[in-house]
Amino acid sequence: MATSVPSAPEIVIAVRDVHTTVGGDVIHAGVTLDVYRGRIFALAGPSGCGKTLLLREALALHVPDSGSIRVLGRDVVGIGDEEALELRQRCGVVFERGALFSSLTVAENVALPLRERSRLGRTLRDEIAALKIALVGLPPSAGPKYPSQLSGGMRRRAALARAIALDPELLFLDEPSAGLDPASGKEFEELVRHLNELLGLTVFVVTRDLGLLWNAADHVAFLGEGRIVAAGTMAEVSRSDEPLVRAYFPGTRSGPAGARP
Amino acid sequence: MVLPGPRIRVESGAMRCSGSWTVDRIERVERLPLGLAWRVGSAVVLDASAVVAMDMAGAWLLHRTARGLERSGRTVTLRLRPEHEAILRIVTSSGVVAGPPRARDRPRVLSAVGRRAWISARELGGLVSFFGEMGVTAARARTGPLRVRWRQVLQHVQTAGFEALPTAALLSFFIGVVLAYQGSALFRPSGAGILVADLVGLAMLRELSPLVTAIIVAGRSGSAYAAQIGAMKMTGEIDSLRAVGLSPIEVLVLPRIAALLVVLPLLTVAADVLGVAGAMVVARAELAMGSGEFLGRVAREIRASDYLLGVCKAPVFAVIIAAVGCYQGLQVADDAESVGRRTTVAVVQSMFLVVVADGFVLVVSRLFGI
Repeated sequence: MATSVPSAPEIVIAVRDVHTTVGGDVIHAGVTLDVYRGRIFALAGPSGCGKTLLLREALALHVPDSGSIRVLGRDVVGIGDEEALELRQRCGVVFERGALFSSLTVAENVALPLRERSRLGRTLRDEIAALKIALVGLPPSAGPKYPSQLSGGMRRRAALARAIALDPELLFLDEPSAGLDPASGKEFEELVRHLNELLGLTVFVVTRDLGLLWNAADHVAFLGEGRIVAAGTMAEVSRSDEPLVRAYFPGTRSGPAGARP
Repeated sequence: MVLPGPRIRVESGAMRCSGSWTVDRIERVERLPLGLAWRVGSAVVLDASAVVAMDMAGAWLLHRTARGLERSGRTVTLRLRPEHEAILRIVTSSGVVAGPPRARDRPRVLSAVGRRAWISARELGGLVSFFGEMGVTAARARTGPLRVRWRQVLQHVQTAGFEALPTAALLSFFIGVVLAYQGSALFRPSGAGILVADLVGLAMLRELSPLVTAIIVAGRSGSAYAAQIGAMKMTGEIDSLRAVGLSPIEVLVLPRIAALLVVLPLLTVAADVLGVAGAMVVARAELAMGSGEFLGRVAREIRASDYLLGVCKAPVFAVIIAAVGCYQGLQVADDAESVGRRTTVAVVQSMFLVVVADGFVLVVSRLFGI
């Protein structure tokens, strides 16, 4: 499972030459990228470029036309239902809308994966759920509340608590700061960073949030016109001469990482 | 790579934990520490240095075991591998404490009855005020430039009326058949088979056609209205309608009511025709009565007022069905469950109110001798 060379970081997600067409439109025309264990990987790009689709493909929720995707050492293209389920159990996902179950309280939402995927007793389950709720920075009073009673930022945190309920190795976040005010977005960004450091969690985040790209991401890949047009640290990506990247990050040449000569 | 499962071995004064303490495995040792009776005041060593993998759930189990022992007066020494210390620190610093699960307050019978009654009363009040609001909106629409949304009305006429026609027609045809069949079994022995025409004619035209049509439309369209408007409420479409200065009642509710006002009388007439036709088929087969004879009897014996009374009930039912469906849709809260609940309530409530209105019309028509 683990690589024998300790100096080279383990690749958790390996996407190789993925092609996808949806309804006749070419979305991915040869996407290749690597995500390393314990790092925060951000996938950026204009809307409609297939970022979320790639995330769905990594979770075996969508099948690409060709190419290979390995997640946690397993090939997800053509994976069986049973294996896919097992794999998804090792991954936590927060979708763009949060998608908390509206008829369950926050505590019940967080305890749901524990109830369905483990055989723990009820008390222990509730305690672990309370632990995760505390870990994402929600007050204990948020537990018995329904999602509709929470603010957008708190709902996002609750969704994150549910995603880490089973101690996943890999966390997928789809536009985590969309619809949040800058302050809440910043807090969420710090929370992701914090969890990454605390739990050694690998994070794959699809985002357009510049704050998150600059401050949280270890690696950034820019998806445009069906390919990765730039990859590396955010400072490297922002210095790219690709017109697509330039159009996306206007004025970031003099960004926090310093200006290009 | 399969790691060994979690184990607890008890030696003199020590609890030695080994294997992998992860969320998918620890149910095996979850209750084990509780069963161990350590002497009060004794020192217990909780040795987890042989644990090969630990996640937050495993760390929590260790932590709560240690806390539990300490609370009951034992001193606990926890031994851990250095790489697991960080995860234990997360768990201990979270501030979460283990404790008995909080008991839910279960409502008593009396308070449950009271609560239900209060909810029902409020529901009824809400419905009444909704009718009022609707009346005001309609009145305003009449005084100002009358804006009838023809497109929407026609669309609802199509879905609620035209598409319901096969169901309504088939159902009333078979009700006519069944009624005539029972009637002929009843009247033939006494040689009064011709009364089947009276029975079916009166029952269908006056009572059954409007009622059956209303029930079909309540099931098809009343539920659809509640679900459509409920989904719009959830996605915030209702609020955005209000925000651009449009009244949801004017845009959503009135066209639906107008459509059912058109559709329900027409469907009732269709049901009348098909019901009598069904009876005619049976009369020919069972009583050897020609269709001319049968229809002549119906025409002679059924008064125009009977027919008109049936048709005039239809608009009343239409308002009830559309208004209740839309009202329930507007009551939807922010969760998916309430859409389902409100849709069910819309159908049940509108059918109930239709039958109540039917009884009311019967009493009034008796009083006036119609």
